[in-house]
Amino acid sequence: MDFSIQTFKTGGERALLDPRTSILAIVVIGAIMMGGKLSGVEYVLRVISCMIPAVLLFVIKKYKTATVYFLFMAVTMILEGTAVQITSGSLNLVFVIISGVVSRFIPQFMMAYCFLSYTTVSEFIVSMEKMHAPSFITIPMSVMFRFFPTISEEGRCVMEAMKMRKTSKKKPSLTQKLEYELVPVMMQSVRISDELSQAAMTKGLGLDRKRTHICKVGFRLIDYVMIIVLLTCLALFIIY
Amino acid sequence: MIGINNVSYTYHVTDSEGKDIYREVLKDFSLKINKGELLVLTGGSGCGKTTIIRLINGLIPNYFEGKLEGCVTVDDMNISAQPIYETAAKVGTVFQNPKNQFFNVDTTSELAFAAENRGEDPKDIIKKIEKVCESFRLSDLMDRSMFNLSGGEKQRIACASIAVTDPDIVVLDEPTSNLDDKGIEDLRDILIKWKSQGKTIVIAEHRLYFLKELADRVLVLDGGKAVKELSGKEFDSLSLEETASLKIRAVDEVYKKKFGDEELRSLLKSNGTIDVKDLSFKYSDGVHGIRINDMALPKNSLVAIVGNNGRGKSTFARCLCGLNKKAKGTVDFEGKEIPLNKMTDRCFMVMQDVNHQLFTESVKDEIMLSIDSNDEETCEKKAKEAMEVLDIGSLSELHPMSLSGGQKQRVAIACAIASDKDIIILDEPTSGLDYYHMVEVAEVLKKLVKLGKTVVVITHDTELIDECAQCVVKLKKYLI
Repeated sequence: MDFSIQTFKTGGERALLDPRTSILAIVVIGAIMMGGKLSGVEYVLRVISCMIPAVLLFVIKKYKTATVYFLFMAVTMILEGTAVQITSGSLNLVFVIISGVVSRFIPQFMMAYCFLSYTTVSEFIVSMEKMHAPSFITIPMSVMFRFFPTISEEGRCVMEAMKMRKTSKKKPSLTQKLEYELVPVMMQSVRISDELSQAAMTKGLGLDRKRTHICKVGFRLIDYVMIIVLLTCLALFIIY
Repeated sequence: MIGINNVSYTYHVTDSEGKDIYREVLKDFSLKINKGELLVLTGGSGCGKTTIIRLINGLIPNYFEGKLEGCVTVDDMNISAQPIYETAAKVGTVFQNPKNQFFNVDTTSELAFAAENRGEDPKDIIKKIEKVCESFRLSDLMDRSMFNLSGGEKQRIACASIAVTDPDIVVLDEPTSNLDDKGIEDLRDILIKWKSQGKTIVIAEHRLYFLKELADRVLVLDGGKAVKELSGKEFDSLSLEETASLKIRAVDEVYKKKFGDEELRSLLKSNGTIDVKDLSFKYSDGVHGIRINDMALPKNSLVAIVGNNGRGKSTFARCLCGLNKKAKGTVDFEGKEIPLNKMTDRCFMVMQDVNHQLFTESVKDEIMLSIDSNDEETCEKKAKEAMEVLDIGSLSELHPMSLSGGQKQRVAIACAIASDKDIIILDEPTSGLDYYHMVEVAEVLKKLVKLGKTVVVITHDTELIDECAQCVVKLKKYLI
């Protein structure tokens, strides 16, 4: 699966969903997938909410990722609906663990991935401002936004460099390898954030005056539909 | 007009053990820069040119900690006393590293960013962006992800984002150190445009050739002092000998030596060959790429790979190292036919950004990591030898990340030696290096050849090629 995040629009398009809707989606999907039971209404809610990221992935034309994700979730959901229900004992435990690892953590992660893919940094800043979030939350979070793709790019370079160090006799353990690869990625991140803040300062970030923005952020029909679906799911989830 | 009046500056940093370190960079330095002038600051690493740039854009004293005496004025503003966002309206900055100067991920937002921060009307901002877009010919770069642009394209966006707010003064801190020839050419065009608009431009730079017939005044700095002041005319006519004696890079991009096909042929005959066969690779656009039916590189010699397109060169290096999974082809080496993806066992690449390839806690560990042996004694011995070759024995217990850029590069090269791989590839080893360090790199490369390695240098640095290359292979004809 391709996990590189490419945040850009062609022809001045707007984000698929308003950042606020997306954040709500992450929260609701997270709550239902992590806390939901495997039977009754909650099972149906789980099936619905884990399919939302699949649909979004499809809409933003990440067909390969969407298909892989869909197949994974479909298998897991079928497992949870059948095998987990009819087995018992240690076999049941095996099924619960396998399906649980996928279904309880992956959907909200994929939703966040969608969010990062179709939202630009400035759209995010604007929507945070609209929610009256204080700037000491908005600025670090927007930097994080900028950082996900940066880290994935740096990580790729570091992993290539590691490949060149591979020797046939010495085999570093997995933890050792992870440590080796983490050090340069972290050092680079520190350096990049240092240079980034310098650049942002010379462009007047932090000015007391209110910022303006050229991107259009606001709720559209699709946002209202999404919010209604999400809130209904959440309400049903709380009631049952 | 910019005035730097009797400025002394001392950086204050803390080392890894929490000790305070004070480093005086400028002492009682004065400089007047006239309106509309294009001033070039050059000199070895640590000569104080970047500090001067930071004084003008206000990062000193607003971002960097240190002791500042004297003051910097732009027109009637006292830069050193006002908040940096006031300075931002007057002074635009282009930084050294194209990828680390964008707050946004998409290009359009970045162009708008500075104007948005100033609270300008969105309609005006869009109009300004459209205008800049036209005059900088950026339409194909709009609405793109920053991560899909080349270094040169990023630097064009950086310049354009400054043009949107249209400041009177532009300062550039080593803007070409990560650019290829094409990127540098584009930057030169932008400088010409700005100069014609009457902007005051200050550039701190090692590489000088692209400033020929453009600079109005050149200051050569050393140890925080101006050691030589040249007018534009004097600068244009500096010979290679003169620039070498001033310890600055050449003004002309010309080869002193001759690098023809004949040199290559005689090397191939005397040293044996490494044959790259049927290499083919296509970029994700499916159109452009590299196709090499048969390329012979001489063994145990120093080959420079040149070509106009930076992208092609680095891609070739990655293919040859076996890092490019999608590349197909084989290499005939010592009578064996090795598929490209197995070349990682034979090749070691010293990357352009050497920070990516230093993993451990000390220089010694770093070198030991690449030695293919489980025997402690053999490892120690080999590591010691490698460190001796590169003269970094005194650094053996230090953390690689605490070293200077040049020292890091030496550590990486030492790893290459210790790994016992036959081919060492260096990707732009002298980008962003001053004259002194460039010569140092050349000496190291010569040593590698003496050790029996085949050294392949991807570069467009004519001075480096003059200093050490034995032959030149042009990549141009292999690009599609």
